[in-house]
Amino acid sequence: MTAEKRRENSVDAIIKACRLMTRMNQATPGARQSDVLYYRMLEGYYRRLLQAHDDGKLIAAHTDFFPVEVVYAMDIVPMHTEVTTWMMTLFTGDNEEILSASAELGLAPEICTPHRGLAGAFVTGAVPHPDIMLWSNLVCDNTAKSGELIMDVTGSDGFFLDHPFKRSDEEVKYLVEGLGDMVSFLEQRSGTEMDWGRLSEIVERMNRQIELIREINELRKAVPTPFSPLGFMQLLTVDYLCPGQPEAIEYLEALRGELDESVKAGRGTVSRERFRLMSFFLPPMHMLGFLDRIAEEFGAVSVTEPFFTFWGEGRLDPRKPLESVAQKSYMIPEMRMFGPLDERAIDSIVDCAGQYRIDGAVFWANVGCRHTCATIKLFKDVLEDIDVPMLTVDCDVVDPTVASEEEVRDKLEQFFELLGDR
Amino acid sequence: MGIDVGSLTTKAVVLGDDGIISYSITESGDEAEQSAIAAMEEALRSAGLGVDDDTYVVTTGAGGKSVSFSRQHKSVNTCLARGIFQLFPEVRTVIDMGAESSGVLKLNARGRLSDWESQDKCASGTGIFLQQMSKLMRMSLEEMSELSFQAKARAEVSNTCAVFAESEVISHVHRQPPTPPADLVAGIYASMVSRVMVMCKRIGIEREVAVVGGVALNKGLINIVEQELGFKVMVPEVPQMVAALGAAIIAGENVAKESAV
Repeated sequence: MTAEKRRENSVDAIIKACRLMTRMNQATPGARQSDVLYYRMLEGYYRRLLQAHDDGKLIAAHTDFFPVEVVYAMDIVPMHTEVTTWMMTLFTGDNEEILSASAELGLAPEICTPHRGLAGAFVTGAVPHPDIMLWSNLVCDNTAKSGELIMDVTGSDGFFLDHPFKRSDEEVKYLVEGLGDMVSFLEQRSGTEMDWGRLSEIVERMNRQIELIREINELRKAVPTPFSPLGFMQLLTVDYLCPGQPEAIEYLEALRGELDESVKAGRGTVSRERFRLMSFFLPPMHMLGFLDRIAEEFGAVSVTEPFFTFWGEGRLDPRKPLESVAQKSYMIPEMRMFGPLDERAIDSIVDCAGQYRIDGAVFWANVGCRHTCATIKLFKDVLEDIDVPMLTVDCDVVDPTVASEEEVRDKLEQFFELLGDR
Repeated sequence: MGIDVGSLTTKAVVLGDDGIISYSITESGDEAEQSAIAAMEEALRSAGLGVDDDTYVVTTGAGGKSVSFSRQHKSVNTCLARGIFQLFPEVRTVIDMGAESSGVLKLNARGRLSDWESQDKCASGTGIFLQQMSKLMRMSLEEMSELSFQAKARAEVSNTCAVFAESEVISHVHRQPPTPPADLVAGIYASMVSRVMVMCKRIGIEREVAVVGGVALNKGLINIVEQELGFKVMVPEVPQMVAALGAAIIAGENVAKESAV
């Protein structure tokens, strides 16, 4: 199975949309400088991807939570598979063609849409073909299978990084050995040697990145909260696409400064904050604008996301870059939900609910993500014990046919009525 | 006044200082606005009142948002909670079985909605499914209900899909010997109830339990609900009117608040 030649306008469309967003933010009085930097960062990411082959660089497609720091250190251009599907949904609003193409490949509709969507995108030529596919079993079986599928569709080479489910000295050692094998594979494939000094710099910046996100999380505790209703989506995109990169630090520093100013001025992100929400998992990308309007209309803001913005404890050691990359993979916020779910993860929900003074929680139940949906009842029960209601919204992060705006609006309205009536 | 514009019927309740003055239940038409006007006029006529532009109307239901003269729209579940608390303050769990959807609500001690589960993706467990089965069985809903009390067993009918359930019922009718009609009706009810029981288990059942919505008029089905729960449930005299009553209560509260200002 081989793919067709790349169609011209899908990544171009993302770049154009990002440029437009940058200009709009620059032209809007009072708009945040961090938003300008965010869209510039995205534009830069996708521009590098589009130009990679012209610049004589390899493209490495990789799945979620893959240690992309290594890729950056070797001057290979990364392409985050899931986020690229999201971005196509967010900026083009229509994924019918790529989802249809994935169906023609035989992928069942129950499979996670970012994965099958990207397979479709490669088939239709909507995104550049990677030279290398890097994937792991972080964070699910879909991810573990996705790499093989993309290699099959694009005819690229690949490397599978086996990430141990649990964390012990033995397992971390195994992971570091796997990372070493991956470096050898990339050196062989690219013909260049790993720049260990560069990797150390990235690891050092990653420390700064995590530190900034922790500071931002502290600022978000303020009432009213200073950060935009679905701003957490930006925080995770930064780490997914540009971990330890200068543009990520620049964005986060600007954001932290702006939030600090807002908190000092007692300025909230919505006109009248009424409901402080905890969010689980991801809202549909095609609804982000709509959900922003809903947030303003009802004064409902996501102030905490225990499994998306809370980094595990620890500090990376730039003197041991590969070990640090392994350590980081256990510190990522999502790991506590997607990995072995332990009592500490459950405790963190209760802890966040108190610290962020939340009124309710919203679980974005993506129908293709079986193992996150398996936690719905568990989280709901935990929150019920502390008298915090949780709404479950059946949806899909990429496929607009799963839930309409009208349905989602009805559910949210009903939930806000419930919260308002308490 | 409260108006619940449902997919099959529109219900209106006129509330006075001493409780319900009158109510109406009319068939819903294509236009929610016209359905609401018809229900409102009938309810006001029953109360001996004329249509007054100043009537404070709160709407709810599938078409409630489209009613131009509504002063406020509230979700069905909020209204059901308010309505049932007025009728049965001891109720903590409400099973709602309407024409096109079903759901389970949890109420707190103040009669406010504290949680809910609903399903509106499948006709199984709804009034439309029951109507379809009544046509298939060639008997009225009332006849089905009476017959179900004579059942010796419950025929196996799928609870996962209305379409498959229909095929199953047809095969029960045509098999040799055919499944006794009483057992078949009991099986149909049980399939609907099992759908609702899944939601009950998810949300947790707290007594007392009320069943509302048009399907609750069916005594045979209520009998199966009680068998499954293992205790008696409460059914309002006009179970399909509870959401409109809740909307009317909210309208009354709003009027009182505005008067106070």
